[in-house]
Amino acid sequence: MGKLRRTWLKLVSPLAWSRPGAERRFLASFSETERGSAVDMLAAAELTERRDLRRKYFIHALDETRHARLFARRAGDFGAESVRARAALNDANTLQAHGIVGGRSLFERYGELEFLAFVHRSEALAVEQFGVYHDLELLDEKTDQMLQNILRDEHFHVGYSRTELERYTRSGKGADVQRALRKVFWRRPWEAWMRFSVQIGHVVTSFWMTVLYLVVVAPFKLGAARERPGFRDVPPDPRSRMTAARGQG
Amino acid sequence: MATWILGMSALFHDAAVALVRDGEVVAAAQEERFTRIKHDAELPVRAAEWALAEAGIDATELDHLVFYEKPLAKFQRILVNSVAEFPRAWRSFPRAMQTWLGRKLWIAGEISRTFRVPPHKLLFSEHHLSHAASAFLPSPFDEAAILTIDGVGEATTTAIWRGNRTAPHVEPVAEVVFPHSLGLFYSAMTAFLGFAVNEGEYKVMGMAAFGRPRFMEQMRALVRLREHGSFELDLDAFCWHWHPSESFTGKLVSILGEPRFPGAPFDPTTPEGQHWADIAASTQAMLEEAVLHVARYARERVDLPNLCLAGGVGLNAVANTRLAVEGPFDQLWVQPAAGDAGGALGAALWCWHDLLEHPRVLNQRYRCDLGRRWTDAESAEILQDLRAPREQLSPQQRLNRAVDDLTTGGVIGWFQGCAEYGPRALGHRSILADPRGAGTRDRVNARIKYREAFRPFAPAVTAEAADRYFDLHTALTGPVQYMVATGTVRPEYREELAAITHIDGSARVQVVHPEHSPLFHSLLEAFGERTGMPVLLNTSFNLKGDPMVDTPIDAVAALYSSDLDAVYVGCHRVTRSERIRGGDLRD
Repeated sequence: MGKLRRTWLKLVSPLAWSRPGAERRFLASFSETERGSAVDMLAAAELTERRDLRRKYFIHALDETRHARLFARRAGDFGAESVRARAALNDANTLQAHGIVGGRSLFERYGELEFLAFVHRSEALAVEQFGVYHDLELLDEKTDQMLQNILRDEHFHVGYSRTELERYTRSGKGADVQRALRKVFWRRPWEAWMRFSVQIGHVVTSFWMTVLYLVVVAPFKLGAARERPGFRDVPPDPRSRMTAARGQG
Repeated sequence: MATWILGMSALFHDAAVALVRDGEVVAAAQEERFTRIKHDAELPVRAAEWALAEAGIDATELDHLVFYEKPLAKFQRILVNSVAEFPRAWRSFPRAMQTWLGRKLWIAGEISRTFRVPPHKLLFSEHHLSHAASAFLPSPFDEAAILTIDGVGEATTTAIWRGNRTAPHVEPVAEVVFPHSLGLFYSAMTAFLGFAVNEGEYKVMGMAAFGRPRFMEQMRALVRLREHGSFELDLDAFCWHWHPSESFTGKLVSILGEPRFPGAPFDPTTPEGQHWADIAASTQAMLEEAVLHVARYARERVDLPNLCLAGGVGLNAVANTRLAVEGPFDQLWVQPAAGDAGGALGAALWCWHDLLEHPRVLNQRYRCDLGRRWTDAESAEILQDLRAPREQLSPQQRLNRAVDDLTTGGVIGWFQGCAEYGPRALGHRSILADPRGAGTRDRVNARIKYREAFRPFAPAVTAEAADRYFDLHTALTGPVQYMVATGTVRPEYREELAAITHIDGSARVQVVHPEHSPLFHSLLEAFGERTGMPVLLNTSFNLKGDPMVDTPIDAVAALYSSDLDAVYVGCHRVTRSERIRGGDLRD
């Protein structure tokens, strides 16, 4: 699968990076990913019960914070300012997409072992991806140099997470480690499919809601008017305060 | 047996909870502090868990959970508006329906399930009622007029209330409804000036000081002030009522010229920079005029000498000051968490006082330190795990070392006691620096907060010395304790206090009283003894794009990710290890 992915990356990456504005878009997107990752690593540092790991998660979080800033700065060199305001608006959504779901960080949802497996796999994929960019010389010299520096940190992330997984294996939890790695492996395509499904759902719903708006809502326009400007007195509510408070309208 | 009420705001921005026991606020926090997502709007699951744990109760022991607005009323406004704006709302309608039919319409059930609160305990306040309650009920006034101004709630955008001695303590008087909104006007201008909405409004306020309001004629055409306190927006220049993601139209561009490119550098010494500053100044002046206009009408309708203020516009410290100085009221009190987060507090207090009809006990001093706290032992364990260099200090040593750091040009993180509720750091989660000399401001802006160079910093000053350095209006005695108003730096100190003096000589002062914030006051005094000036530069302890730090780990992460010199976490002084930064400790 690794070889297959690498071949795929080698085929697709030159096309992707040759599109106008690719540097700006990709680097800004990497920045957002790293920032989301930093949030998750800090949460892990706070929540872990393995005090020996707390520091590693913390250092990892600092690395991700620094990477986010480096990517953002470089994206800015390519004119990413034009998306900055919009990105800031969507910041919460972006971070939601990178792990925080319903107030729960990845660490809380996965638990220690699966979280480590996730970190290991994600970082290994990043190393592979950035390696392809370097090997194919897709990036300008400055960006490539920056990526090489970041790769050094990513190798550390791959290394420490692998060491910890091996430690679990040695302590007799080999089957759990393998299960966690399998779950993490299959979660990625599953989540991609889910995202795709949601997008399709949005498109279909948008279509039918637009039809509903243009066909069904239209006649009501005849009797509708925009609210008039200016102060108006608030009439007293005939319901008791408690009754009113129980209602949502 | 105690009565427990949990107030909650969520699903727009700044989700928060406030837990009230027999009318007393025992815990309040924004969800963003836990999830580290700025302005997190999700249901405040973690904040609620923390608040209940802090009080030592289970969700089943809650008597009421009060949501800060009425979802169905809001949905009705969206439907009615979509019809009224037919056909040009064709893009916003599908999006709104997806959001509402997919989730928000069923939020009562979701809240009930998520927080394990049976439906009969679930109550709903109204958006502006929650704001009004958050402004009046904790205020020091037994009666007052109340003004709430924000973007939009269910349908209301601006409202006048009467704060009474007895229930109903918060009584509606008059309202302005969507789409005419002063909050949305300011947000649209924020977007026009290239800043993110709901985030960049402070920047517009800061930028305004560099300009002259030479676009007032255009602004007055955009926001027409009418009789009886009313205002009417030129809705052809704005599109928040029919566009899903944009807020102004080509008409605004034809009036004011091309909008500012987001992220473009701002240099007020260039003609282009001056142009943007003048638009910002005109926007700010227009908002102030409109707020004054509304306030005069509020005084007409509620003939009381004091005014309480809340809603997002209440965070505009400059407008608040002008309202206090030129407005028709003797005293002003502004809820420090004037935005949606404060709605959680208002909803809970309203339930206690107006639904359960308990009398108010006048509170002469509202506490903002209602958030999470860490004991020295808890901090020590975490810091030990991180192996960051640290010293454990006695209380006196802590003050001395902090002053040593500050007087030698250091910038420190001050992480002490409970976190603040609301957007202002008031000496519990603060970045502090010596205010003398503009160099400090530039360093904090560029290398610690990573923000625009034009943005000003606020000073904290002891109550005893405040009048010596700042000209503070008597009507602002309350607001200046919470950094929701500005003062003027006395001319003889402007040069010396350059780091906290804005270009127009103003400063968003925090006046610190010893009985309210003893540790922070002691630090200011200790700094004053050493330097002769008990004044510090005080800014929120966070880096760009992050919420304020809430845990020792967040604080140390900020230390390592910026140019801070030290962080004081309780009794610990933590410094940076270059080894960690360089990665050598990756054992």
